[in-house]
Amino acid sequence: MTETAFNERVLSGCGERNLLKTALMNLTVLPALVLWTILVILISPLAYLAVRIPMRWSTERTIRALIWIYGRVWLFIAAPFVHFTREGFGQCRAKPPAILVLNHLSFFDVYFMGALPFSNVIFAIRSWPFKMFWYTPFMRMARYLDVEKMGWEETLEAGKDALCRGSFLLFFPESHRSRNGQLQRFHSGAFRLAVATGTPLVPLCITGTDELLPPGSLWMRPARVRLRALSAVDPRPFSGPSGHMEMRKMVKAVMAENIAQMRHEDGTTRGRSSCLR
Amino acid sequence: MTDEEIIELINSSLAEEFELNMDDMVPEAILLDDLELDSLDRVDMVIVLENAFGFKIREEEEIRHIRTLGDIHQFVINKIHLLEATA
Repeated sequence: MTETAFNERVLSGCGERNLLKTALMNLTVLPALVLWTILVILISPLAYLAVRIPMRWSTERTIRALIWIYGRVWLFIAAPFVHFTREGFGQCRAKPPAILVLNHLSFFDVYFMGALPFSNVIFAIRSWPFKMFWYTPFMRMARYLDVEKMGWEETLEAGKDALCRGSFLLFFPESHRSRNGQLQRFHSGAFRLAVATGTPLVPLCITGTDELLPPGSLWMRPARVRLRALSAVDPRPFSGPSGHMEMRKMVKAVMAENIAQMRHEDGTTRGRSSCLR
Repeated sequence: MTDEEIIELINSSLAEEFELNMDDMVPEAILLDDLELDSLDRVDMVIVLENAFGFKIREEEEIRHIRTLGDIHQFVINKIHLLEATA
């Protein structure tokens, strides 16, 4: 058998295996996620008491912890089909209060925040996630920020308040999911808040969630997802009226470089592992 | 500086800062709907224009009523002509 014929046969088998795996994933992971969500909603009053009483946390802090646990279980549900790795959290010096900025590829990006090594995270997001009625009460109780509805001044004040209370505040600086996998324009909100409050900002890079749920698709696919924390950025050198804009450009450049590197590494690894394993 | 040069500088400065396509930089483009520049972007836009033209406009009331890119062109052209007349 020639090398080309061998490769074609291997790739053909690989395609059939991938198809089966994809079908199995959609038949198991999605229903499991729905069941897990229903279960969480039903047991949430008990879970709330079980966490709040011993920990003596506020309601908002308790709900954030429950949401984090929900995300952790999502990782477990997806694990047979999603090869997930987390990197850089040991070196990034992410201590609260801090602002996190994450690139946005998929609806599932948020679920992978269950992999963060801390649970006290407030999401600053657009209005549409608040329309998912089964999540809305939890998001409201966790005091997530609806940046689209609140406007900038109110977001700034709420953000300052959240940081003062020792929380992490997570922004998607692109605002929307990227449709082509490339970083889109960054909005200034997170950077302006970092400069205004002198709060360190930790860039987070995620790859592979667009492969897990491609834009416009209703079907999930097996994927390799990576979440990398970069070193915390000190906002103090970015002073003056345009300081936050300089910080935004610098952070975007570093994130773009890391995402390109992660994709490059995944491309070579994925090509070998998926077909010849 | 001619009006055309002013418009060119406005368009190139905003396109660079907000990663806009120059083809979309038409006078009738609505800042929020067509160029997706929200209220916070408007604050940055003022800083970009101040840096590009070396004047201060952040306190001016007229800025708040700007809706289209053409409104920005006209505002800056008027501002520069006024500064030239009073110089």
